Amino acid sequence: MTDAAKPIDVTGIGGGMGPQPQPCQLVIFGVAGDLSWRKLLPAVYNLNVDSNLPSHFSVVGFGLPSSGESPADPDDYIRKRARDGIEKFSRRHLDEGHFADFARALFFVPGSFNDAGAYQALKARLEALDQQFGVPASRVYYLAVPPGVVPDCVSHLKAAGMIAQPDEVNAFTRVIVEKPIGHDLASARTVMDDVAVAFHENQTYRIDHYLGKETVQNLMVLRFANSIFEPLWNASHIDHVQITVAEEEGLAQYGPDGQMLATRAGYYEKIGALRDMVQNHILQILCMVCMEPPWSLGPDIVRDAKAGVLRCLHRPTPAEVDKYVVRGQYIEGNVHGQRVPGYRKEVREAFELMKKPLPPESVHSTTETYVAMKLFVDNWRWAGVPFYLRTGKRLPKRVSEVAIQFKNVPNVLFNAHPDVPLEPTLLALRVQPEEGISMRLASKLPGARLKIYPVKMEFTYGGAFGAQSTPEAYERLLLDVMAGDATLFMRRDAVELAWEFCMPILDRWAALRVRDLPEYQCGTWGPVEADRIIHADGRHWRTP
Amino acid sequence: MNAPALLGESVPVSIGSIEAELKRRRDAVQSDAAEPLQVVRMATLVVFTDSLDRAVAIDAELPAITAVHPARVVLLVGEAGAKDVAMIGSIKVRPLHQSGSRVTISEQVTLVAGGPVALRLPSVVRGLVIGDLPVNLWWATNTPPPMGGQLEAELAELAQQVVYDSLGWPDPARGFLATATWLDQLDTPLPGGRWRTGSDLSWRRLKYWRRLLAQTLHPGSAPGCAASLTEIRVEHGPHAVGQAWMLACWLCLQLGWHIQGGKTQGGTELTWKCQLPNGGTGWVRVVRQDQGPPEICRVRLACEVGGAPGAMVLAVEGPQRLAQTVEGSDVQPRTLTVPPLTLAEVIGRQLNDRDRDRLFRETMARARVMGQSVLDH
Repeated sequence: MTDAAKPIDVTGIGGGMGPQPQPCQLVIFGVAGDLSWRKLLPAVYNLNVDSNLPSHFSVVGFGLPSSGESPADPDDYIRKRARDGIEKFSRRHLDEGHFADFARALFFVPGSFNDAGAYQALKARLEALDQQFGVPASRVYYLAVPPGVVPDCVSHLKAAGMIAQPDEVNAFTRVIVEKPIGHDLASARTVMDDVAVAFHENQTYRIDHYLGKETVQNLMVLRFANSIFEPLWNASHIDHVQITVAEEEGLAQYGPDGQMLATRAGYYEKIGALRDMVQNHILQILCMVCMEPPWSLGPDIVRDAKAGVLRCLHRPTPAEVDKYVVRGQYIEGNVHGQRVPGYRKEVREAFELMKKPLPPESVHSTTETYVAMKLFVDNWRWAGVPFYLRTGKRLPKRVSEVAIQFKNVPNVLFNAHPDVPLEPTLLALRVQPEEGISMRLASKLPGARLKIYPVKMEFTYGGAFGAQSTPEAYERLLLDVMAGDATLFMRRDAVELAWEFCMPILDRWAALRVRDLPEYQCGTWGPVEADRIIHADGRHWRTP
Repeated sequence: MNAPALLGESVPVSIGSIEAELKRRRDAVQSDAAEPLQVVRMATLVVFTDSLDRAVAIDAELPAITAVHPARVVLLVGEAGAKDVAMIGSIKVRPLHQSGSRVTISEQVTLVAGGPVALRLPSVVRGLVIGDLPVNLWWATNTPPPMGGQLEAELAELAQQVVYDSLGWPDPARGFLATATWLDQLDTPLPGGRWRTGSDLSWRRLKYWRRLLAQTLHPGSAPGCAASLTEIRVEHGPHAVGQAWMLACWLCLQLGWHIQGGKTQGGTELTWKCQLPNGGTGWVRVVRQDQGPPEICRVRLACEVGGAPGAMVLAVEGPQRLAQTVEGSDVQPRTLTVPPLTLAEVIGRQLNDRDRDRLFRETMARARVMGQSVLDH
């Protein structure tokens, strides 16, 4: 590779070598859970394979297996669990040599999150491992636990004397907190206050894995490292923006015989699509699209720029919520050629599976599985540009994309035919799957006659850099925490601002007390009411 | 398994993992390629057919079609009469071009379903459509699209252009009647600025007949011929009645003939009585020959030639030539070269052509009138 082709480190950390994680122990609370199994342990394994981990490093899991019983050989238990997760979900195939090296530094301390004695055992094990691995008492606590458990974990950590001072550099303590952060503004503040009892803001890393996606990070590079986009990135040239976060899955996973195997009903019934997706992922992506150029890449400078967008979001009035926000719930339909049940039926079956009584409010659940909305960013750059957001479950494909549609050319010359208008120029940023960028342009078809046809220029990370070269979001984010780089994590003010935007919607919905939501069949792109929001403006939802 | 072996090979897949399997195949091909693999696609081409035999024939044509119009192809086979069996899927990654070390490919997904399960095909297609590019539906059955029921309606909902072929329609009168109305609905602008269009491959095949007829009847080359025309006779081979019908409709439209009534005769001939612009009566006859290829073979125009009653005859002169002669004259024929109109060529060109063809619409409106007149008889 020539010097000109070397990747440029824009983080400022590591002198051009990318973020440099510092020696530490990664302590995963809830290591026996789904997130660790699917994402975290495979991510650490891949970081190990890529030589991105510090030499002085270990992973310690904490918690209890789902059986609730302590395994006979805890370390063996977690190593087997990690092996299984890597085999099933890792972007790299399991290599025995690498796995042996990874497993050598993987440990498990069984214990309940509300058992003070367990924290003492954890502390003792960590201190022993500090000695064994030469770690200078630095810790990253990853709280991969349900939100209700977070206060217990934090208070016990503090009581056990397991948290360093915030200004401590050599033996730092950092905490990673997963979403959801609260279920409304007040509860979010409570959750953050609970964490703040023990951890300073600069020790707290609120993770939104979407921000670790290459395409999301590349948004800043696309905008601010290319000269052609930024001059056009405003209301003068952009017609509208669409953000789609679509999921194929519903509440449950089914076996080949149609039996429900697992479900998120207990969680999702209380949350819904607005809290699950819009308040965090979608608004964070929106910030990256809309932010003003930060004057440096310092974490707080970038986060200031993002918070600036959230401050400018137009807070909808109740009438505007009714007009511009649509929620929906999926009903029975076809997905991939299979008949699948509607949401309410899935909820009923899920509670039967969990052997729990169906809560009264779930009998005729009004939890939204789909949200679409039109919003505006009230600042000079984006004045009058509509942003159409939609997210939902049981949609035709799993895809997350941002589409920036540029304004039409005038209706003369090539766009003079009103029956068949030209497709406008469109820049699409695909967050998942197959991260990449595409641009739709109008092109003349070869031949004697003048015929114009839309063509698409596409770049995918996998195609350009190799299928296995693109790190998973969690890999990047874990490294950033170890390196002390909070750029891609949500600051407290951003979380509060995002909730402030969502609260008028939640309040209006609560006030309406509807008995039924607009319905959409599984495997379709949402309720017709969502189409009306955008059709009213003479636009339509694109197919991602 | 090495990469070249992956190209062109059809692999069974579970319906829920089609995209993942396509990606796996692309990655496998990519792993042996020196340059980034290029997946070429101008559109998503959804092909629906109701017979496995026809699907096999279409599958054989698809490499040639995608050479003209690169697309992700989703080939759907829905056998209505078959038992209610589970949907079966397969994928194929085809080499398209190879220039030096650069490899370009196209992708194909084939889905087979029988009975009521076929109605679920659109749910799979929705997830396979390539975003931001046109979606074309090729309705490759002998059933006119508006008679295709819920399945056609759901597939057409996804498409920007619906391509069908009136060649082989068993009941052209009802077919044209329904299709003309359906085309009007298809042309109605959709909310949000979306638009759709419909195209008949038979109309595209008529291009050279229309060109030769227009030149034959041009006042500059045959003064008085068009004005004196009293009978149009279109002869066609088996299964090409729709094509002949449409040519007759187009001629009536161009000549300003108004349909007064129509009837079938003996199962081999359709006849319409027309009012001419000069108030006189004209006749249009579409006559099936017992043998021959499924295409128009001859058109006879009874009119004055050189001031005396006579006829112009247009006929197929060879595989790539149409000729026009004056009946009973030994004057050398005027000829028009017709490029090979293979199915791949016709469909490929049509997929590239999304413009609304006003003449086709007007011809279909006339076809509706002629269809109604036959049914009213």
